Amino acid sequence: MVAQQIINAVSLGGVYALLALGLAIVFSIVGLINFAHGELMTLSGYALLASLVLGLPFPVAVLVAVTCGALAAVAMERIAFRPMRGASVTSLLLTSFAVSSLLKVVFQNGISARPQAVAMPGWMTGAFSFGDFTIGVGPSISIVVSALALIALEVFLRRSVTGTAMRAAAEDFDVVRLMGIPASRIIATAFLLSGLLAGLAAMLWVAQRASVDPLMGFTPVLKAFIAAVVGGLGSLPGAVAGGFLLGIIEVLLQATLPATIAPYRDAIVLSGVIAVLLLRPQGLIPAVRVQRS
Amino acid sequence: MPSLYRLRRAALCAAVSGATIAVVSTASAEEIIIGAATAQTGVLAPYDQPALAGLRMALDELNAKGGLGGKYTVKLMIKDTRSDTAQTATVAQELIDAGAKIMITPCDADPSISAGQLTQPLGIPTLTLCGSAPVLTGAVGDVMFGTYPADNVQATAVADFAVSEGKKKVFLLTSPDTTYTANLPEYFGKVFEKKGGAVVGRGTFTMGQPDFSAEITNIKGLADKPDLIMTAAYEPDFPAFIQQLRGAGVTIPVYGADAIGTPTIKALGKLVDGVVYTAAGYAEPGSKLEAFNAAFTKYAGHAPESTYEVNGYEIGLILDQAVKTAGTDDPKAVRDAIANLKDFEGITGKITYAGTNRMPLRPVALMRYDGGEGKHVETLIPDAADVPAP
Repeated sequence: MVAQQIINAVSLGGVYALLALGLAIVFSIVGLINFAHGELMTLSGYALLASLVLGLPFPVAVLVAVTCGALAAVAMERIAFRPMRGASVTSLLLTSFAVSSLLKVVFQNGISARPQAVAMPGWMTGAFSFGDFTIGVGPSISIVVSALALIALEVFLRRSVTGTAMRAAAEDFDVVRLMGIPASRIIATAFLLSGLLAGLAAMLWVAQRASVDPLMGFTPVLKAFIAAVVGGLGSLPGAVAGGFLLGIIEVLLQATLPATIAPYRDAIVLSGVIAVLLLRPQGLIPAVRVQRS
Repeated sequence: MPSLYRLRRAALCAAVSGATIAVVSTASAEEIIIGAATAQTGVLAPYDQPALAGLRMALDELNAKGGLGGKYTVKLMIKDTRSDTAQTATVAQELIDAGAKIMITPCDADPSISAGQLTQPLGIPTLTLCGSAPVLTGAVGDVMFGTYPADNVQATAVADFAVSEGKKKVFLLTSPDTTYTANLPEYFGKVFEKKGGAVVGRGTFTMGQPDFSAEITNIKGLADKPDLIMTAAYEPDFPAFIQQLRGAGVTIPVYGADAIGTPTIKALGKLVDGVVYTAAGYAEPGSKLEAFNAAFTKYAGHAPESTYEVNGYEIGLILDQAVKTAGTDDPKAVRDAIANLKDFEGITGKITYAGTNRMPLRPVALMRYDGGEGKHVETLIPDAADVPAP
């Protein structure tokens, strides 16, 4: 039981970490909390559905869906956020809300208000046994994919020139530009990475939910926002730590609270977030250059 | 230029006064405005839209025959509630201001109650499209009517069936977020216990919650293993729950109610094999419902998705009968006529309001998913003595 719940917590925490990281990457560079991040997930979900309906093999469909998420993020930056560059944080925030609402309505009216079932391959609902506890294939994939994505991102940021430039931009964008690195490229890469993470998270999310619907982006972006704030806004390690912390607390409470108190779970989680922020106002692992949204 | 400007203004005035005359003439005594405060967007849209499509079809047909009761042409005014309770009250007020004499509200108790609080003092009969919480009508007052089989009636039907199958131990999964998800499984539990079954565990979820793994681990860890899980979760929570439940290797059957009788759930295929749910009726060959389904397909260009369409259609028939009985479009008289309806022949069977708390007595069809299809199990009207109090 305990081992099982630990696996549940790590699996959920991993997905939250991917989501929070997607928000944090963009925030660290442009100071924007992109509330349309959830709609990138929705878009990837629909792309997966469309690919499967068109008869593409499952791995190809996943690839198409994740690519769609990444490209959509770049397009979003180009169309909605680039004209707003240099605008105040409030304007950027409102722009992201506008993009989010717009996309939701487009999904509802253009596709369907009804959730669409996504038939996951049969092996994904399987489970394998280790001694006296069983691990679902779904959660195992979640854990592996989250871990691989986090490692890959870390390698990219540490080893590549663009990655180094991005880390530098997070500390002081103006100096990076003075070094002759084009701002647009850095920002576009940040959005591309956040879109990739959104696409990956969407695959794990949809695999667990078996359906996509126009409003499915709301909950994940909210969780990601909480995780990013708890971890320290703009700090990438902080986003990962915040994501795992949130996942672990949620599973722990769901597992241990008696049924009569369980409905207050979210209230308890959010009280915990307030407590963390009272003790560490800049988050668990604060960003080098602290900004407030 | 000034003369041209004046000329334009004169033309504009003429146009406006012409429009006014037109409005006055359409708002004659022989027209009745039905206000539909329903969700075109948001979580209730998948339920409100099919139901509204059925109602529109009925009203179009009735208008072709002279309108409600053969003499009141219906003007249906539809406003989007965005599945939001406060927004429902706002648009209900707008519809009342526009002269609505009958109000149609969304497929859920909370927004229906918010609209009902506005129509109750004015005596405007108010019908929920498919809201099925039995507390709904009592929470508003004598103008509020349910149309779909009530939650406690549905739950009794499912419980009767589970008992007849020999099920002994149930786990109830509820969510406090809506009346439907909170109460329906508990009604089931009451009937199930009364008939010799036992509730061996309870769990809760938050609507829109991404992860059910902790709850599922709890179910797996129960010392007293349930042989049935009863829930009123619907989209998108039901697919998530069952995907993760089966993914964790749990094969206990899951039963639900009407809200999972949708194309989305059906499209889950093998994942939902064995899931039992309810419907307002079943289209047996040669039945009225089968004829309705064919007519609806012709009308809408696609087959009905569920029994919400026929339920919406029956609302139109009920209103027609009520106006015919009342002989007037006076809201109070129409309300009384609906409340006294007895053994009214609908499409799915007999509908009775007389003697109820305005939640209709009507048959419940039990259905079971099998290989991506909803198969009919049986249709029954539960014994009134078995139905738990709301």
